[in-house]
Amino acid sequence: MRFKLIDAASFLPAVAAATLPLTAYAVDYMSPQQAQQALFPQADHFEVREIKLDAAQMQAFASRYGVPARSASWKVLEASQAGKRLGWVVIDNVVGKFELITYAVGVATDGSIKQVEILSYRESHGGEIRLPAWRQQFAGKTAQSPIKVGADIANISGATLSCTHVTEGIKRIAGLIETARSSGQIGAGV
Amino acid sequence: MKPLHRLILLAGACLSLCSAAQAQTATSQTADTANKTAAKAVTKKAAAKAASNSQPPASSAPSAREAELMQRLDKLATEVEQLKGQVAELKQQQAQQAAAATSAPVAAAPVAVPAAAPTTATANASQAVNGAENQPAATPSEPATVLTGYGEINYNRYNKDSSRDQADMRRFVLGLQHRFDAKTKMVGELEVEHAVSSSSDVGEVEVEQAYVERQLNNQLALRAGLFLMPAGLLNENHEPTAYYGVERNFVETAIIPSTWREGGLQMVASFDNGLTLQTGLSTGFDVSKWATDDAETATSPLGSVHQELQQAHAKDPAVFAALNWRGVPGLQLGGSWFSGNGGQGQASAFGGKLRVTLWDLHARYTLGALDLSTVYARGTISGTADFNTHNLGSGPDWFPIPKSFDGAYVQAAYKVWSWDDLSLSPFVRAERYNTRKSFADIGQGLTADAAPTEQAYTLGANLNVGQGLVLKADVQRFKQNKDNNRLDLGLGWSF
Repeated sequence: MRFKLIDAASFLPAVAAATLPLTAYAVDYMSPQQAQQALFPQADHFEVREIKLDAAQMQAFASRYGVPARSASWKVLEASQAGKRLGWVVIDNVVGKFELITYAVGVATDGSIKQVEILSYRESHGGEIRLPAWRQQFAGKTAQSPIKVGADIANISGATLSCTHVTEGIKRIAGLIETARSSGQIGAGV
Repeated sequence: MKPLHRLILLAGACLSLCSAAQAQTATSQTADTANKTAAKAVTKKAAAKAASNSQPPASSAPSAREAELMQRLDKLATEVEQLKGQVAELKQQQAQQAAAATSAPVAAAPVAVPAAAPTTATANASQAVNGAENQPAATPSEPATVLTGYGEINYNRYNKDSSRDQADMRRFVLGLQHRFDAKTKMVGELEVEHAVSSSSDVGEVEVEQAYVERQLNNQLALRAGLFLMPAGLLNENHEPTAYYGVERNFVETAIIPSTWREGGLQMVASFDNGLTLQTGLSTGFDVSKWATDDAETATSPLGSVHQELQQAHAKDPAVFAALNWRGVPGLQLGGSWFSGNGGQGQASAFGGKLRVTLWDLHARYTLGALDLSTVYARGTISGTADFNTHNLGSGPDWFPIPKSFDGAYVQAAYKVWSWDDLSLSPFVRAERYNTRKSFADIGQGLTADAAPTEQAYTLGANLNVGQGLVLKADVQRFKQNKDNNRLDLGLGWSF
């Protein structure tokens, strides 16, 4: 059976596109251990810290940061080097459009966001939130920053819900760390 | 799990030694009433064992044998404690991998991250690579099946002819996504258009999407089934909350026949430089069923001959590719290209010369509250001369197959107001499109005249309520067919 796929001339662009080189450097999926290393490469020790929010703090959280605290109990990893505190790692999940996105946020001891890593992204579209250029937008932001898509965070076309929900999650984590620091639950002492 | 096995073996050894030690102690304590005392102090098994052993006479001080046993017990207890620590550490690390590589329920607390072992991060990373890398595996806590949906109700009020005013349940869509495992899922959408579908109603029930997707690695995924074609900005993101205006723009309905879907195989490659390539083989259009007396062909040439995997004629597959770059936050630059046999071996296609090619270039840039986008799309159908000659007609009611059709729009939206979860975004869109831009020459006096290019201007606003609900209003003005000037109101949702 003759099987005519396409005119040769019009096929060339597809051939050219299909032969683009595939590159691979591991910024896509990573384990929590890889994430904590990426966020605090100089750390030699990670220790879990539990943050508890009471009813008053939960109530104040939403009005102060514009996102609900979601949970009264959070666990964060405190990174240190030779006994000196470097910051915290918070690993969280949010729903993108249909599926869960797992991400990790590194927060410096002054409460500013150091870096964001995407551990898992499962949606059919919008995987570009894993790109360094998009994640880099959060570096240096604090709980006082807007951290909002359409304000200080640019959207990714076709992945609006994923961008919005991850951005809200990062805002929540920035607020969480600030709340925990101000209440002395973390960050006290050396 | 070697440490665990070692722990079990050592625990067993411990118990044996304990029994033996207890038995021996019992024997030494009461040499003359050994059987009676032993029966009370130890188990029957130990007692029997003790009785059967020919032990030396008891003395008040521990014997050398007893001391040795006690030392061995202490040593074993220490070792057991060490192994317990190692097992606990392993369990923590496994839980850590599983928790973050997968997920917690939607509203759950953040992933519970156990304390990292007080070792270097490098040591942790090496243990975490297995199972987590490339495998965001589903866990029982993650719902495997997700119900989705969107819908829109539109109202059109025409300036000149009120008999055309219309309120319509434009579409009601239920979607289902099921994840078989960490790498494999099915995506389906079932749509009802115009509220009621029956032999005497205009409504339709359609399977809009039904495909399976397999993630091959971090960069590559394969789709097979009925999927949306990667073309323009709207086709793959067509929920009412995703675009401005009550009605979808003309370029991406008249030229790109949104919602355009085909059956086939698609590869999706995501590059780390922001490029996404989608390419594959699919079914295509069946131009042989073109109805030259149907005005719908002038509304959307390809929309009138799409097959939608409905017993699609599929002699030759079409090929398609789309390349998008999103390397700069807020910016999307891309294009798509499709080409396929339009005759599919049908006798009415006249020798199989019909070929449909459709391509587009598009860009979108969101900067803060500003949202700019533009699309240019062009379609051509080659080999139409024979078909149009055979189906010759004339006058305004004759709609031969065009040789080319195209359109472009530019759109600007700006979020002017937001409060709580409400946001208001006015927008303006200017479009030029021509569904009958040119016709193949079939002789003087016989070749149809090209249609004038229509220009449409839309001014309106979207009021978003949260992320799933949108209220829309706009006015549309047309340069050629002013009878189409209208006011549109719309309600849409998506989840």
